[in-house]
Amino acid sequence: MFKWFGKVNFAPFTKVTDFAQYLKDGRLMGSKCKKCGATSFPPRADCEACMSGDFEFFEMSGKATLHTYTKIVAAPTGFEEVAPYIVGVVDLEECGRALAWFGETVKEEEIDIGMELQMVPQIFDELEEIKVYYSLEKPGTTWSKTNSAR
Amino acid sequence: MDLGLEGKSAIVTGGSLGIGTAVALGLAKEGCNVAINYRRHDAEAKEVVRKVEEMGRKGLAVKADVSSYDDAHNMVKKVVEEFGGLDIMVCNAGINWDGVIWKMTEKQWDTVINVNLKGYFNYNKAAAMVFKDQKGGKIVNISSINGLRGKFAQTNYSASKGGEIAMSKALAKELGKFNVNVNVVAPGMVMTEMALNIPPEFLNKAVDETVMGRIASPGDCANVVIFLCSDMSRHITGEVIKVDGGQYI
Amino acid sequence: MTRVGIIGIGHGVFGRRSDATVQELAFEAFRAAMEDAGIDRDALDASVIGSVPEYHKQRSLPGVVQEYLGLNPKPTWLTEVACASGSAAIRTAWMSIKAGVHKVVAVIGCQKMTELSTPEILALMGRVGEVQWESVFGTTFPAYYSMFAVRHMHDFGTTREQLLEVAIKNHYYGARNPCALFQKEITMEKAKASDEVATPLQVYDCCANADGAACVILASEEKAKEISKKTVWLEGMGCATASMSVLRRPNLVGLPSAVKAGTEAYEMAGVGPQDIKVAQVHDCFTIAEIMAYEDLGFCKKGEGGKLIADRQTYVGGKIPVNVDGGLKAKGHPIGATGVSQTYEIAKQLRGEAGERQVPDADIGLTHNVGGIGQYCFVQILRRD
Repeated sequence: MFKWFGKVNFAPFTKVTDFAQYLKDGRLMGSKCKKCGATSFPPRADCEACMSGDFEFFEMSGKATLHTYTKIVAAPTGFEEVAPYIVGVVDLEECGRALAWFGETVKEEEIDIGMELQMVPQIFDELEEIKVYYSLEKPGTTWSKTNSAR
Repeated sequence: MDLGLEGKSAIVTGGSLGIGTAVALGLAKEGCNVAINYRRHDAEAKEVVRKVEEMGRKGLAVKADVSSYDDAHNMVKKVVEEFGGLDIMVCNAGINWDGVIWKMTEKQWDTVINVNLKGYFNYNKAAAMVFKDQKGGKIVNISSINGLRGKFAQTNYSASKGGEIAMSKALAKELGKFNVNVNVVAPGMVMTEMALNIPPEFLNKAVDETVMGRIASPGDCANVVIFLCSDMSRHITGEVIKVDGGQYI
Repeated sequence: MTRVGIIGIGHGVFGRRSDATVQELAFEAFRAAMEDAGIDRDALDASVIGSVPEYHKQRSLPGVVQEYLGLNPKPTWLTEVACASGSAAIRTAWMSIKAGVHKVVAVIGCQKMTELSTPEILALMGRVGEVQWESVFGTTFPAYYSMFAVRHMHDFGTTREQLLEVAIKNHYYGARNPCALFQKEITMEKAKASDEVATPLQVYDCCANADGAACVILASEEKAKEISKKTVWLEGMGCATASMSVLRRPNLVGLPSAVKAGTEAYEMAGVGPQDIKVAQVHDCFTIAEIMAYEDLGFCKKGEGGKLIADRQTYVGGKIPVNVDGGLKAKGHPIGATGVSQTYEIAKQLRGEAGERQVPDADIGLTHNVGGIGQYCFVQILRRD
């Protein structure tokens, strides 16, 4: 259900559609080529290295390092009510990069290139329909927030 | 059937009597730590806690009027601290104060609405805030067939019970994406302390209405509640299950 | 294989052209180029149109342009690679002449952007990134270049002022270019006071959408020698791509496609960066021009800010860049820009640039980027 991904989604149909289902269940998935083992984030169905179309998902830790960022003030259609917002590009521990919003656990003054972050799956909680995304949070932030080790 | 409730933590409001006690003890038997809230019956509440602890679980009794918003939030906070978390909220505490409308006072109306309907809001909200962050939880609100139909001399009670059903359905829509189930159990006549106050001819009338020719025990209701607290019913939400022996079909 | 030369050039006024359709804009530039070349339409074998179709209400643009220019039944087609569409059109014409399929080809870069309403343009803007993984977070075109700027400033100490010096220079020259959208110089104070777009970039760091057209006529060596006395030759043609998504770039402080296209062009032309006398680079944002200096070898990596601060890219400096106002002051009708850059370099090499003339300019370079660097075309032109 890739149409769940993002505040405004332009790519509802994709071979990696299950990514959004995993995200809704709190899991961040990359892709791995079944033929040659090459990994990718964002996930892709067709292997960049060996061209095989046989892939599987694998769970990523979400550990990330900030590569660059900007605060978007002039927003495109669909994002006006949430502007301004800060997007960052992060290098992920296992492979690849992601572009994502900064979340509530990181203050604007703290943002610095090279900082360690945790990429956490999120659900838009005030929308009736299911919409998911991921955000950049302080290291150690978890998707499910419980008070004890359960 | 393994309900998978081992180690879970639950709150049952109105847990010192009737359906509440049956639910509390039933959950404890399945492996839950159980906290109950009660208003007047200190001795009975203590007894429930003792029985829960006897089964090797954590037990807690909190004296509070369910119509207090702050008390509800404080109780949830306390349970999360002492049990280490919360997985199940069963709202059961309720009263009736019958009367035909031309004789019903403002206080009669307000009290029943505040205890029954507002009380469920108070505890549902407090639990929802934990469950939403946690991405999991079960809420079961105990209503009545008199929330599905109108009952003579129960404009206030029927309103509160009907309101509980609509509220639960709306809440199910809000919490579904966070893996939280919200359901309603609607009993008919149940042999509880509340029923002891009912004149015999009304009880007989109820039996006559019931196609199975009997009145429910608290356990009959509790079993369904407990099922709805488990992952066995993970795909049921926004549902109303009558436990009325066919009293209202 | 034959050399390919430019025998005619034409340029329309860039701006908010609510006075004309896209084909009427194309005609302005086309007429000027044909007059400049001194040829009639039957001398042409084909045309190539560079334009980005999504901004027009007219479907299938090349057809309507071809008709209006009176070029039926000659062949035509569209080339589209975002803001580099104009250069792609030139490259296609160049390839067709090199291959011997055509001898004289008109290349028209034309674009309307103001036909759409602001909400329509904003919605289009929302899809400018890699739509599957980036646009979902509300990325915009300036936001990408902002992120390049943030990293460039972090890695090399490039300053806000150095970025704005690019805008100041380009407005200085735009004020001396009658075809430019903005004809006024600007000050550092004015630039710093402008609205934020995506930090740190402000309004004055960003080029403006515009309508406009430019045209160049390409010819084989044989035809060029027959027709023109002021042919400017396309000596080096480089073209490269990079990932659409910033998530798959090797670094975010330069454009790998520009480095590759530049290297290819230099090699083909048999020259190096030090030989270039005048250049047009793709300054869609101030940081883009600074990165272009570095990517094209006009200075070392990280020293782009110093190059502009030292005024080395003004006429009289080490390497004059964008002395027609660049995208910043001219405006950026995206399909036309590549052809406009080529027009300016041709003018410089012919000695026709008036008060903006770079003395003894015999070798020039154009650098035209599509989007955020997923396409880059570098051309090296020479006057014999």
